[in-house]
Amino acid sequence: MTIRHALAGLIGLFAIGFGGAALAAPSCGANTGQAATGEPIVVGGIFSNGAPGDWSSATDSAAAYFACVNANGGIAGRPIEYLVEDDQWNPESAAAAAAKLVGDKKAVAMVGNGSFIEMAVNAKTYVDNGIMAMASACAISECFETPNLVSTNQGPLSSNLGAAQYAQEELGSKNVACIGLNIPNNGIWSCQAVIDYMKSKGGDGSMALLNPGAPDVNSALLEAVASGADTILMNLPAGLALAVLKAAQEQDLRDSYIWIAPTPLYDLSVPDAVGEYWHGKIFVNAELAPLSVGGPDAQNWISVLDAFGKADDPRDTFSQAGYLSARFFTEAMLTMDPAKLDDRAAVSDAIRAIKGYTSDLMCGPFYVGDADYHMPNHAGYMVKIVAGGFEIVRNCYEYDSSYFDKHKALEAELGLR
Amino acid sequence: MNKDLFRLTPSGLAGLVFAAFCFVVLPSVAGSYWLAILTSSACFTMAISGVAFMHARLGMVSLTQVGLMGVGGWVTLRLNYLWDFPFEVNLVIAALLTMICGWVLALPALRLRGLYLALVTLMAAGGLEILFATYQFPNGGEGFWGVKIGSTEPFRGSILATSPTAYLRYVIVAATLGFLLIEAHRRMFPGRAWALIRRSEAAAMAAGVNVTLYKTWAFGIAALLAGASGGLLAGSLGLLDDGTFRASESIMLFALAVVGGARFWLGAVIAAFLYRVLPAILNTWGVDSDLAYVIFGVGLLHALITAPDGIGGQIMALFRRKSQEQS
Repeated sequence: MTIRHALAGLIGLFAIGFGGAALAAPSCGANTGQAATGEPIVVGGIFSNGAPGDWSSATDSAAAYFACVNANGGIAGRPIEYLVEDDQWNPESAAAAAAKLVGDKKAVAMVGNGSFIEMAVNAKTYVDNGIMAMASACAISECFETPNLVSTNQGPLSSNLGAAQYAQEELGSKNVACIGLNIPNNGIWSCQAVIDYMKSKGGDGSMALLNPGAPDVNSALLEAVASGADTILMNLPAGLALAVLKAAQEQDLRDSYIWIAPTPLYDLSVPDAVGEYWHGKIFVNAELAPLSVGGPDAQNWISVLDAFGKADDPRDTFSQAGYLSARFFTEAMLTMDPAKLDDRAAVSDAIRAIKGYTSDLMCGPFYVGDADYHMPNHAGYMVKIVAGGFEIVRNCYEYDSSYFDKHKALEAELGLR
Repeated sequence: MNKDLFRLTPSGLAGLVFAAFCFVVLPSVAGSYWLAILTSSACFTMAISGVAFMHARLGMVSLTQVGLMGVGGWVTLRLNYLWDFPFEVNLVIAALLTMICGWVLALPALRLRGLYLALVTLMAAGGLEILFATYQFPNGGEGFWGVKIGSTEPFRGSILATSPTAYLRYVIVAATLGFLLIEAHRRMFPGRAWALIRRSEAAAMAAGVNVTLYKTWAFGIAALLAGASGGLLAGSLGLLDDGTFRASESIMLFALAVVGGARFWLGAVIAAFLYRVLPAILNTWGVDSDLAYVIFGVGLLHALITAPDGIGGQIMALFRRKSQEQS
């Protein structure tokens, strides 16, 4: 997203303002302070950059973390060679990207993936090739409902449910209109979960869908208004959500509805972008800890980006998720027999064995496990857009939906509950 | 039996040798990335051959070829989830249904010529784009549209080509059959009728040629090839996205057919190379693949100003000259 990139430098400066710890040397991997040498370990990553959004934030931060790991001893002294491909929001490009990384470059794992397309195209490729993908900016159902994909971000379904739950419990929402993209495994999937949730609470819901190729936000907004909803959920990438808000502002709809959104609107450029009109009126679910929480790992994330990232790398939720995927992957690799670091099956086993990894960026423990579905992150924060930033209105809370029953059962089986 | 039907021309021989080379060598030497790129290119070669053939034989400009590919892909996916027929059966049905769609589209459109026909086909491509964006591609759901909420169900691919290497060979064979279908028509009565129509519709009518029938026939063949190529693309990926089948892609495909050389089999191959392989090469070099659009523009200018037969025509002419000099 252009706005996000343009303001990234400003956000970086803001982040530095958290205190001296943000300026401290980052801590990564073995943390030896010695540069890794020898044969690189190949790791892949795929992101989408094309209309209607840029999802490279996670691979950018994963690249920064791996650069930091390489400067700090690597994995058993060997550096990670992180190869990233752009799927351009195109299924053919997504398949080719995975073919290159998995087939030609012999990546041992995929880390930091962020896309609306590639997980649907490549989920079978990952299974067929026995490779695990630790994604970070997943937006489609395949990311959470296939055996070889696991993500540190929550995706639209969980984040939407978190926002709707807060609105229903705290703001008195009875009827939610979900504006989403007309993609069965994205907008429809996640909006339907909100409708089901609202009905389970005695309320109601509806969805207004946008064509991602030619989004008409005004029509979708009018459809949402006509649905009789009292709450409007903008289940969209930040750029499109801002366009919806602009259209709503032109019609002075602010006080007629409760406005909620999933995590894409948790971006430090958003409060200024929406303007004073909306301050205090939009409630956003944050899948990972808001910047103001400022725990040690959150500060380390900023330090890593400052020291090893590019100046214009965004500091947003997906960047946090990319950092976490890279960090958890590195920690899993550090537990492995060094002789097996190039053995994809052994690496996949090590990733599946991840259990109980923690970070102050996440509300709960991260795990993978050997299952056909993975959604370890299903608790988050709610924030309100205010002048100059975000105000936390609800701290870590677990989302209340029957969708998570099987995940909770798996967590109980793994001894995490 | 038409004796000319099986006569081997130098161009035809070169085409068959090229197809054999692609069949044997390319899948053997290409890595996984290039297998994916070349499979996609081979699918589009087939679609381009259809639109190039209509332009070269009848002077008709169709700007809906990629939309018709989407129809073929849609039918292939829908049948895959509807019945347990083998992929090949679904592919044939998809190609035939797309041909019927082509006929339905052609009958009213063929009353128009030149720019107006191009505009009508472009509108049709726009309509298909909206349909695909609104209803999406089947993913294993129930009902006519076959779309369900959530993840895509597994796709049942061809049992004859289960690896990427085998599937590239499979698509090369299909594309070659497409070229042979066009050539067979060109050598039979439809080809003569098309030649007459291209020269003068009035003269063709005076000679007893059913102009509407043969123009519709040509449109049907182009649609058949588009449908088959869309089905093959679906077989390659296991799913399709509406973004692939935008009306603008049909315009691009036609423009590249002109750049490549609509009259020659080599032109379709060059066009597909430019469309899918060139951006991949740029990407491999670390150059923004959007630079390919600039190259397409230069190529189109080159074709319009200096090479009406396109790059393929220039290469063919070069070989002819060399051959004549030697003889």
